[in-house]
Amino acid sequence: MKTANLVKILLTVSLVSAVFLAGCTDVSGGGGCAGPSAQGWSGFVPYKQVLCFGSMEGRVIAVNPAARSDNKTFPVEGEWAYLIKIASPGAACGAMCGSSTSASNMGIYATPVTSGELVYAGTYSGKIYAMNGDKGVVRWVYPREGYETVGGVVGNLATDGQSIFFGSSNGKLYALDALTGDYKWEFQTSDKIWTSPAVDSGVVYTGNYGGNIYALSAEDGKVIWEIKIPSAVASAITVSGGNLYFGTFDRYLHALDKTSGQEKWKVSGGNWFWAAPVVKDGVAYCACLDQKVYALEADTGREVWQFSAESPIVSTPALSENTLYVASNNGKLYSLDIKKGTMINSASVGFTVYAPLYADGATVYVNARNHTVYAVDMTKGSIIWQFASNSIGN
Amino acid sequence: MIDIWNVAILNPMLNGLIALSEILGKNFGLAIIVLTVAVRIVLIPLTFKQTQSTKAMQSLQPKLQELQKKYARNQQKLQQEMMALYKEAGVSPLGCMWPLLIQFPIWIALYQSIMQALAATPENLLLLSQHLYSWDMVGQAIPLNEMFLGLKLSQPDPTMILAILVGGTMWLQQKMVTPPATDPKQQQMTSMTTMMMPMMFAFFTLSFPSGLALYWVVSNIIGIGIQYFIGGGWGYFTFPSLRPQPQATTQPKIEQKGSQDGKKGQN
Repeated sequence: MKTANLVKILLTVSLVSAVFLAGCTDVSGGGGCAGPSAQGWSGFVPYKQVLCFGSMEGRVIAVNPAARSDNKTFPVEGEWAYLIKIASPGAACGAMCGSSTSASNMGIYATPVTSGELVYAGTYSGKIYAMNGDKGVVRWVYPREGYETVGGVVGNLATDGQSIFFGSSNGKLYALDALTGDYKWEFQTSDKIWTSPAVDSGVVYTGNYGGNIYALSAEDGKVIWEIKIPSAVASAITVSGGNLYFGTFDRYLHALDKTSGQEKWKVSGGNWFWAAPVVKDGVAYCACLDQKVYALEADTGREVWQFSAESPIVSTPALSENTLYVASNNGKLYSLDIKKGTMINSASVGFTVYAPLYADGATVYVNARNHTVYAVDMTKGSIIWQFASNSIGN
Repeated sequence: MIDIWNVAILNPMLNGLIALSEILGKNFGLAIIVLTVAVRIVLIPLTFKQTQSTKAMQSLQPKLQELQKKYARNQQKLQQEMMALYKEAGVSPLGCMWPLLIQFPIWIALYQSIMQALAATPENLLLLSQHLYSWDMVGQAIPLNEMFLGLKLSQPDPTMILAILVGGTMWLQQKMVTPPATDPKQQQMTSMTTMMMPMMFAFFTLSFPSGLALYWVVSNIIGIGIQYFIGGGWGYFTFPSLRPQPQATTQPKIEQKGSQDGKKGQN
């Protein structure tokens, strides 16, 4: 009986461990027993001669492609890096962390935006930073020191030059003065906002996880229209022509009239349209987690062509002239002829890609999940240079 | 192997849980409770078999102790005799383990389903997309409403309430099925193991999503209920007030009382 008891105890302990190991196994490399940790997947925004992006270590970094190509020591020629530290990680790791106030860093999902000489970054820890684009010196932070954070910022920031707009996990859409960071207005929605707002002609469009789409006045946040759809918004909202385009968790891509919110058309894919649709010359290019890219007539939703990649597509494609650049999750890059949907060339960075792509001519910039930024020459299908963001010291 | 696991076990349970949440008015906390109850009900025959096997093993305890004394210096003979005893009684020493082993994959799947469905971070949400069926009901339920009774199911409970509930219910369940040992050394080990698991889980509760802790609490309460009805009452758990006083301390008191009475009588 003693032996049986011991066997039972050992077996139970080992099986419990197996349960936790099974739960802690993270196929995407994030780590952590509650699944992949929040590491972010920011894209790039150009500022003068540098490209600014948020790294998985919680830095806002400006890299100069020319300097990287020459393999110069970072930082040179307009380059800089700013590490965003968060105090009291208790909110992120629970009661186990107690009331620790030691600084930590956290990934950045929002692709930075620029306005004038400032670069703006939103963090998952719930703060907005405005930095001087030339030196990376912080101009202002919202909320101000001593005030509570606003809830995780996952979607991109949007700006009309006067204001910065961003959605938060607390379900609010905020508008701040772009120059000073002063609070302008906020709009409380019914659920959390993880998608990117879009601003066009004095109107801010946003969707939340309650399946609501809002058109708000950029001036004062007053509701212009509001609609409820059956499922929550999965992708960023793209405004083009007279329409809004976005994907939802019920596997549809929607086109709404931007003045009334009335649905114009919707098409279904084999999985979520997570990447933001890219629209050009009356065609919407929509990447899907079903591994396909759909080219749809922007006014009717009729399919023009579709292209199959090797794995699901999370990354928002980039357009440059008549070529569409697409990255699938397995790190494979494709250049596609936007008229026919045929593949012109392909390349691979060899690591998972979730972040939106940025294209400058035939050079595509990729922020891969191995903490490395790649510049890829898509005419040759080869990597020009790579830069490990985690190689920067604190 | 992972694909087989996902397709055959994890995905059906995960999608079932999400669909259930939609049916229950987008209430994921209620869905966890309902699915946990359903799974525990389906597993009742196995739980029953496990209880029976454990009882049968316990009934052999006196005979096993006799054999251990008798063949203390001959381990080979002891093993032979023990196996013969098991065979004669028609029990297997690991018989009570099989039902437990069969239940574990289901618990692992339920555990993984809760963890994945809650999708606390954007990365989790992306991971979830690869496990979902194309049912409208599932698509409309995502992302799940994570609030339940004031708890944010994707985050650890900031209070200690869930940790105490998880630890307490698990300890009670263990006490109900763990027989008191006669040997002091064995008693010490039993006490330690009875405390170890609940403390371990209470500790996990502090850092895991409270949705998972909710599942543990519900599962433990159902386990206590099943044990109460199948095992016939509270089993080996005794309420402090009903615990018999140890003989060694009560006997002298009676004697003392008697002698005092005698003295009184003499006076």
